[in-house]
Amino acid sequence: MTQVGQESVLRLAPGCRLSEAGAREDLLLIPEGALRMQGPARKIVELLNGERSVREIVEELQHRYGTEDAARIETETLALLTRLRERGVLESV
Amino acid sequence: MKYEPKALIAEVTHRCPLHCVYCSNPLEMQRRSEELSTADWISIFQQAGEMGVLQLHLTGGEPLARTDIAELVKAGRAARLYINLITSGVGLDPGKLDALIDAGLDHIQLSFQDIEEGPANEFSGTRSHALKLRMAAMIRERRVGFTLNMVVHRSNLDRLEEMIAFAEQSGAQRVEIAHVQYYGWALKNREALLPTRAQVDRSIEIVEAARERLKGRLRIDFVLPDYYAKYPKPCMNGWGHQQMLIDPVGQVLPCHAAGVIPGLEFSSTREHPLRWIWEESPAINRFRDESWMPEPCKNCDRRTRDFGGCRCQAFLLTGDAAATDPVCTLAPSHKVIEDILGQVNGAKQNWVYRIDPI
Repeated sequence: MTQVGQESVLRLAPGCRLSEAGAREDLLLIPEGALRMQGPARKIVELLNGERSVREIVEELQHRYGTEDAARIETETLALLTRLRERGVLESV
Repeated sequence: MKYEPKALIAEVTHRCPLHCVYCSNPLEMQRRSEELSTADWISIFQQAGEMGVLQLHLTGGEPLARTDIAELVKAGRAARLYINLITSGVGLDPGKLDALIDAGLDHIQLSFQDIEEGPANEFSGTRSHALKLRMAAMIRERRVGFTLNMVVHRSNLDRLEEMIAFAEQSGAQRVEIAHVQYYGWALKNREALLPTRAQVDRSIEIVEAARERLKGRLRIDFVLPDYYAKYPKPCMNGWGHQQMLIDPVGQVLPCHAAGVIPGLEFSSTREHPLRWIWEESPAINRFRDESWMPEPCKNCDRRTRDFGGCRCQAFLLTGDAAATDPVCTLAPSHKVIEDILGQVNGAKQNWVYRIDPI
């Protein structure tokens, strides 16, 4: 299943990891290169621990960034995770 | 820095137990006695990390032929690099694999020559296929990035669907289907390797259908044979633009093949800091900008996309490294390619096998 929904539990696929803290830019290192992690992307990926559901991650982000943009946070988080899942960077647990 | 290096290809040795008929190593290989030491490589990785290089591809020859390979992986990680091991799998065992992963190995690219044992062993000149199957199973059991690499050509292309089916159940996240590129040993065997146009067209259809079917499960990277292309490939994404290759003795090249170009002197990490070599050395700067370009490249809209194609191929096929890549249909020398393609036939040629360095 490649569909990402509220109850999906995801983690980084083997061979994919975030650049270490202190690196010159936030990157997601993958076998064929690197993806630039813009805006809150790094934070979102950091929250994927293979235990939290997408719903819990969205709630965490809404809590952190304020609830006035709650709908947008949810849409954008789902969009990012779907893109990464389709690319094979994330796997379902 | 105008050109920021992103990837370092480290040919840590030219020694290899396989003798593949399309090996990308140069015909003249570096000897073991001249190879860089562990400390030399560690210093290179540190310098590369400081220059902003992101990826380290440990290759060879067979990189596992170096007894210090786990130490090299560890040093690469310490330099904040992403570590990819490009291997035949020969020389791997569970203990060594665990040690490499513990040292911080991010990813393994395991090569296969075919899906059938007989032909696979024929193309590699060794009885290695059965062993590779065991290595694939061993890698799948562990948490490490895993890509299969399958080199395709006239003699195995008709089994492409079976190759993809194998990749699908191998546990790999990614498969690289690479048509042979004609340099080094592959150029020597071109007559036997070059596919027909019908085979190439069919391979494109198969890959496109498989990509659709396997979306999100298995990623397929596909390298087309440029002899059949309309325009040349953007070789290495530009000479000295993003990638560098360091050979077993420390020479820094822009790619695997550039050693064939006469008159280029490659600077060595034994004599110069890596940053100086990347920024200042004559060989890395030789075809870096557009000043070398002849017509039709220099006024062509595509020059910023394909950089005039491959300098090594231009030299190998026209004798002039500063000519337009002859695969380009706009190149004055394009007839060379048409003549070669006109001669593709099913005739069996005796293989020229890669010879291991002393």
